Amino acid sequence: MAGLAIGRAGPRGRPGLARIALALGGLLLLAALASLLLGAGEVGPARALAVLLGGGDEEARFVVGALRGPRTLIGIVVGVALGVAGALLQAVSRNPLAEPGLLGVSAGAAFAVALALWLGASAATLRIAVGQLGALVGCACVLSVVRLRGLGGDPVRLILAGATFTALLGSLTSLLLLFDQRSADEIRFWVIGSLAGRRLEDLLAVLPSLAVALGLTLWMARPLAALALGERVAAGLGHRPGRVRLVVVLVVALLVGAATAIAGPIAFVGLVVPFAARALAGPDIRRTLWLCMPLGPLMVLGADVTSRLLVAPSELPLGVLTALLGAPVLVAVVRARRLPTL
Amino acid sequence: MLERPLTSRDAIGRQPQRFAADATRQPGAPSGYWRLAHGEVSLLVERRALAANLLLLVLLLAASAAYLMLGSIPVGAGELARALAGNGEVVSAFVVLELRLPRLVAAWLTGAAFAVAGCLMQTLARNRLATPGIIGIDNGATAFAVASVVGLGVSLAPPAMALAGAATAAAITFGLASGGDTRGYRFIVAGIGIGAVFGAITQLLLARVGIDTANAAYPWTVGTLNARPGGAVMALAAGLALGLPLALALSRPLTLMRFSDAVASGLGVMLRRRRAQVLALSVLLTALAVAVAGPVGMVGLIGPEIARWLGSSRGVPLVASALAGALVMVLADLVGRLLLAPIELPVGIVTAVVGGPWLLWILLRPDSRSSR
Amino acid sequence: MFSASHIVRRWTRRRALTLFAAALCLVLSSTAEARTLDTAHGEVEVPESPERIVTLYEGALDAALAAGIVPVGAVTTRGGDGVAGYIEAHLDALSPDARPAIVGVVRELNLEAVLAQRPDLILAAPQLSAEQYALLSRIAPTVVPATRPLAADNWQAEARLYGEALGRAAEVEAAIAELATRSAALAEALAAAGVNGSANLIRWMPQGPMVMSAQLFASGLIEAAGLEIGDAGLVREGGSHSDPLSLENLSRLDGDWLFLATLNAEGQEALDAARTSPAFARLPAVQAERVVPVDGQLWTSANGPLAAQAILDHLEAALLP
Repeated sequence: MAGLAIGRAGPRGRPGLARIALALGGLLLLAALASLLLGAGEVGPARALAVLLGGGDEEARFVVGALRGPRTLIGIVVGVALGVAGALLQAVSRNPLAEPGLLGVSAGAAFAVALALWLGASAATLRIAVGQLGALVGCACVLSVVRLRGLGGDPVRLILAGATFTALLGSLTSLLLLFDQRSADEIRFWVIGSLAGRRLEDLLAVLPSLAVALGLTLWMARPLAALALGERVAAGLGHRPGRVRLVVVLVVALLVGAATAIAGPIAFVGLVVPFAARALAGPDIRRTLWLCMPLGPLMVLGADVTSRLLVAPSELPLGVLTALLGAPVLVAVVRARRLPTL
Repeated sequence: MLERPLTSRDAIGRQPQRFAADATRQPGAPSGYWRLAHGEVSLLVERRALAANLLLLVLLLAASAAYLMLGSIPVGAGELARALAGNGEVVSAFVVLELRLPRLVAAWLTGAAFAVAGCLMQTLARNRLATPGIIGIDNGATAFAVASVVGLGVSLAPPAMALAGAATAAAITFGLASGGDTRGYRFIVAGIGIGAVFGAITQLLLARVGIDTANAAYPWTVGTLNARPGGAVMALAAGLALGLPLALALSRPLTLMRFSDAVASGLGVMLRRRRAQVLALSVLLTALAVAVAGPVGMVGLIGPEIARWLGSSRGVPLVASALAGALVMVLADLVGRLLLAPIELPVGIVTAVVGGPWLLWILLRPDSRSSR
Repeated sequence: MFSASHIVRRWTRRRALTLFAAALCLVLSSTAEARTLDTAHGEVEVPESPERIVTLYEGALDAALAAGIVPVGAVTTRGGDGVAGYIEAHLDALSPDARPAIVGVVRELNLEAVLAQRPDLILAAPQLSAEQYALLSRIAPTVVPATRPLAADNWQAEARLYGEALGRAAEVEAAIAELATRSAALAEALAAAGVNGSANLIRWMPQGPMVMSAQLFASGLIEAAGLEIGDAGLVREGGSHSDPLSLENLSRLDGDWLFLATLNAEGQEALDAARTSPAFARLPAVQAERVVPVDGQLWTSANGPLAAQAILDHLEAALLP
């Protein structure tokens, strides 16, 4: 576990990481419990609790075991993936605003889905991998812009590039929808991310890529921290900055692609979670990454539980709630006296 | 063509034209400029800018003539002249005067407004991607207009709601970005955030109604010039008549604001106030244009880009941007009408598809000269 | 700028008045006498027997064909660059020249293409925007049914208005009456075969199902065929469908029959996809193998006498043993 400083007291008098992580883990457990107990349906907390304690009626067992359980697991995985991806992307671009969802990922996924529908697929049977592929391409486009010098140094310019790219893909999607109203009818329900109706098989399908990504993250943590001190320092410590960046971008694409494949485009998690993690743990990327693991699921599960309760017996799409949560944080980041370049 | 009363050309092209008439070249003008004297008043006119504006004007008029002639019912040049003079044959007169001319005027006005608004914001932010369309003003307008179409208990017509939406998005953004920083950066980022929220709300609204209603809301999600509301066009015309002179009056401080803040304040620019004025003007023009045509993308980006490419880098090319924006809009709508006839493409899709490669070029150019 | 464009508009208006009068004369001269109809935009005078009709709405195209008139222009249906599949069946016999010309898509009408057909009557959808109506009504008398709160028999009122506009009220009336007779017969046959009970009409989305309103066109026909259609109390007042339903609430779909609408041909695939969801597989209708995949284009968005016949065909084939 190359150099992840868990357990050690913070170097600059910050509260021990272990203590924070423990507290967050507790909160996460509570959120997971809430996710199992609360829902848009008729199975209330009392009936669900009975199931958790080993009893419960048939209907409640089904709802908790077959619906809420997988959904909670998926929420946790998606939260970890998006939170970690955001932290990595921000570290490698030295930009606190670099958020996959703001960099064309959602737009890329929506465009790919529109294209697939246009080519004859149906929303009911559409392979989720299509969305994943689109997310990857969208992410890769904007990231390639980052890598071509000139944009990475300026936080605002990067997300302007992302927003512009999003607008572009949005128009192309509209173009397809003009010709194909059947797609137009179906895509309305696809373009906002949600955890509803996802199955454990979807989760299992992306687990290998997630495992690879997490392994690479652990491997990259130390070089990435060195890179934060500057290219020369990193080179002096024996790391190759170019290669570090390439690997990290690959990891980000894997993580975001997997999350989008399961849950659809969900914006702002990658912005809010690292922001909170940095506020708690300071600028060290290794500490930030550790905290992102409980914080990401915490945000996703919290938003998901809220989305079930607000308009029961229906549900709000998760993407709407994360956008509502994320926009104020985005503003808070830029309202900081000057934009920190990580 | 010449018998036609002048419209946008009149206001936009006035300044260079009037002075060009009695221009006298005088010794002592800096190279590349003409010094124009008209009684007490004298003015330095940049030759290259003048040439660029004239070129754009000629192109705009040519494109407009083509716009009036081409379509599902072609109208020849002679018939066009007769129709414009008021003694054309019934059908071609109807096509030219009732269907194409109002749409052409709407294209001129919206194109000019989008491009001037884009040019203002780009100059302020020293970033050519910073246009009102990108930062969420459009999204606010779309969300409100869609809410009106899908009938969320709102009685206002979609154009008025679009205006209200743009104003709301701008107001929230101004509020969140208060105590502004140097280049309107906070404004831009806050705008993108607000835009994302409004975008999500629009998707939610569209997902909750039947497909027929979603279809009725479609023009407000892409931007089109097909059968636009006359009242909104009049409001935009009035807004441009007020806004363009204001923008021109702001062009000197804007020119100086392209330098660093220290230099600009040293040269007497009241940065905070000017910045607020420029942003407000940019947002106002965009809001009025969106109320007419919906969120037409990229014109605010392409118009100023063409203007800068043709003109020199000395000043802020507001007039050239307006002309170029109008030109882009007219050409894009013409292409949209002709390309897949009898099916029309909304103009917003054409500008996006044309603007896309351009945009990628700006983004991907290895040269990092991209801030101006 | 303001004054200049104002001049253009005023000037245009003055010319337009004379033009309009001239155009109207042309229209009037070609018809013996005009009739007056009550439409969403007030009273509209239509020619006694219009010959060149443009329909800007699938319901209007359906009604016109049912009345025995082939329009000269029509808009495309969703999902293609031609008219709907069930309409196509009624146009097969026509020579290419006699088929309706395409004058745009529902989302973006091409007004010039409408004009190019030189229509003497335009039939449009209730959702037509006021600006478009203003221009279309200058081209030809434009008949727009009033917007009504959603109800399963709205289509009848619309079809009657179109029929009146076409001067073929009797034919449309006959088509509606024939439908009533046929659905009554079908209901009897189904009852005799023991097919009865309650039904739900849904669309399957990745997040979960959407329940379609009991006030939809197709819902009304299911009802007329003797099944009791319900929306499980999930559809908002006046809404055409529910939000995608939480899977936890799927058990509210307790109908004996489930009509699963999909918007492409592979209805069976959609059904298989839905079956992989454990919540769906538990539904009583699914367990009893009483799920009927149906064509969403026809069932959830078309309307008119011909569409009704097509839906009844499908009901008959699917439900009668």
